[in-house]
Amino acid sequence: MLLSSTNQEEEDDEVASKGGSELFAVRRATFLTIFLFSSVTAVTFRVFFTRLRRQRVDREAEMVSTVANVDVKQKDADHALVVAISCSAVLEDADDGDVHRVGVAFPLLQALQSVNRHLVEANSSESLLFDVLLITTDERRQRQSARIVSSTKHYGLEVSRFCFSDGEDFVESLLENQVQLFLSTEPEEVALVWQRGVPSSLLGHQTWSSPSEQLRVLLCGDDVIAAAAAESAQRFWSQLGAMRRRFGVLGSPVSVAVMTAHGGRRGFADALATLRSCGLNADEAHCLAGAPRGPILELLRPHVLLGGGLR
Amino acid sequence: MSDIKINESSQVEDKAEEKEEEKDWAAAKAFFEHLKTNKPRPPKPGFAVTIAVSSRTLFNMVAERLIYEKEGVEKYVAYQVEHENEPLKPGPAFQFVKALMTVNARLRELYPDSEELFDIVLMTNNHAQVGVRLINSINHYDLTIERFCMTGGKSPIGYLKAYMTNLYLSKDADKVTEAIDEGIAAATMFMPETENELCDNQLRVAFDGDAVLFSDESEIIVKQRGLDSFFEHEKKFENKPLAQGPLKCFLEALGKLQRKFYAKNERLDCPIRTFLVTARSAASSGARVLKTLRSWGLEVDEALFLAGAPKGPLLQKIKPHIYFDDQMFHIEGAKELGTISAHVPYGIGQKYHRGKLIEQPKKE
Repeated sequence: MLLSSTNQEEEDDEVASKGGSELFAVRRATFLTIFLFSSVTAVTFRVFFTRLRRQRVDREAEMVSTVANVDVKQKDADHALVVAISCSAVLEDADDGDVHRVGVAFPLLQALQSVNRHLVEANSSESLLFDVLLITTDERRQRQSARIVSSTKHYGLEVSRFCFSDGEDFVESLLENQVQLFLSTEPEEVALVWQRGVPSSLLGHQTWSSPSEQLRVLLCGDDVIAAAAAESAQRFWSQLGAMRRRFGVLGSPVSVAVMTAHGGRRGFADALATLRSCGLNADEAHCLAGAPRGPILELLRPHVLLGGGLR
Repeated sequence: MSDIKINESSQVEDKAEEKEEEKDWAAAKAFFEHLKTNKPRPPKPGFAVTIAVSSRTLFNMVAERLIYEKEGVEKYVAYQVEHENEPLKPGPAFQFVKALMTVNARLRELYPDSEELFDIVLMTNNHAQVGVRLINSINHYDLTIERFCMTGGKSPIGYLKAYMTNLYLSKDADKVTEAIDEGIAAATMFMPETENELCDNQLRVAFDGDAVLFSDESEIIVKQRGLDSFFEHEKKFENKPLAQGPLKCFLEALGKLQRKFYAKNERLDCPIRTFLVTARSAASSGARVLKTLRSWGLEVDEALFLAGAPKGPLLQKIKPHIYFDDQMFHIEGAKELGTISAHVPYGIGQKYHRGKLIEQPKKE
């Protein structure tokens, strides 16, 4: 009986030791598997994220790209008056064809070009010219970049640069391009740009969109005093004033009007004095003191309207 | 279906415009109410009697005008800018404007919340640069002019309509003619050679009858068929009202304001007095005129029938702040004796001078 129990014990030991080494092997195998698995996963994830990051960097680079228009002589950015117009205001979608339809800002653009023509006629080495930039402000438009360029060429528009932005950073690109005047049909865009200190005008039912010989800019005097604190506004007024002075009192291709809607003659006189101190002498001036502005605006027919509660 | 939509959308647009107008008006009202200087605020244009005066009628700019004509617009603007801080001397419409301010003060006393007042707008062709001197001059005399229209060379006619102008006074006969053609009461002002002492607490306005308050239909008969035909015709049609003339609406506007004083028992002390000064005679052709006025529901305070006598001496006695006549002959007579006169270039009287037909230059 005792022998068999020893045998049993020995057998047990054998089993136990065999079991122990087996367990170790299993443990080892498990560790190895886990290790292999995790490293493979890590490598995979790393590769994946790197590709993702690279994609995002590429996309960021794509988000705003400024392209010079080779068909048009580039202006001297330090001396020119840079005007950025939202693409959708100049070129409207057309379902068919390679070329867009003209938008509400088209006559305005032609008026800007006409002023440039007159300036160059008077002085062939003139550097104070309008430097026009077309900017897209959403992704959909950004994707139509090729069509935008070809439409511009088709209509012979004197656009020096295109700014293809997909929306988020379009204001940054305006500042980078030293834009002094921004024009758009979207109230939110205009408000956003004004907040960053760049004079901007809403194009639409209060501005003129038929062909005309003369570029007409209207400044709402009630805001002039407030805006005078901003250096960007002052610079814009002084450049516009200098441009206006290149022409005589009568027959100028650019005309500047000032209108105060609410205050009396004191505010009116102050607005005129403020503009004059920045070098801008208005041609027309109207003090409404509460009179309805609709009929007056219909007569003034401005292409560009700055201020007046439209921000 | 689409028609209804179009109507709706234009209605929506109109409503939106109205809302904007109300906002502007409310903002202006608030602005003036918060001013510490207690300046009276300008009335709402739709309710007010709007008088548009040009810079040359409000101020004497004869010397400056010479510079404009002889040396051109650039020199003129430069001169005005140089002399910006020198107030200009009063022009022909100055006394008239001061009288309007007096009436406004009385109206504000009696009706503090009413918008039915005189509204004075400076309507000038000048550039905004010249405007600074005009504003300085207005400040100097403390005139209540808060609305300005400096058109920088463009025609003022559109702006006259935009302000719903009841009367336009200018020194430029072409602009005045254009305004009359567009249905706006207008007259070309002349500075008298001597200055009469005028009443400072009552606005006195004198009108000629034919071709000013009334149409020129009777005038035509006189010129083409002679005085006898004229008398016969007037007698025959005594009860038929004459057609209205270019200044009838202005008389109507004055009458509306006068009635506001009558309503407050101020008839004897009314600060507006109107005069009819006509070459017609009371005995014969005068009746038709009075009956016409009555049919229009209008009245004049004094009707003076001169039966052809010169108007100058009588006007010198009346001393109006402004006298409207369609014939230069009468204007010249009034001027000589110190009456501020305003020529209304309307009707057949323009083709004649001192009873003789003027040779019209052949139109090319």
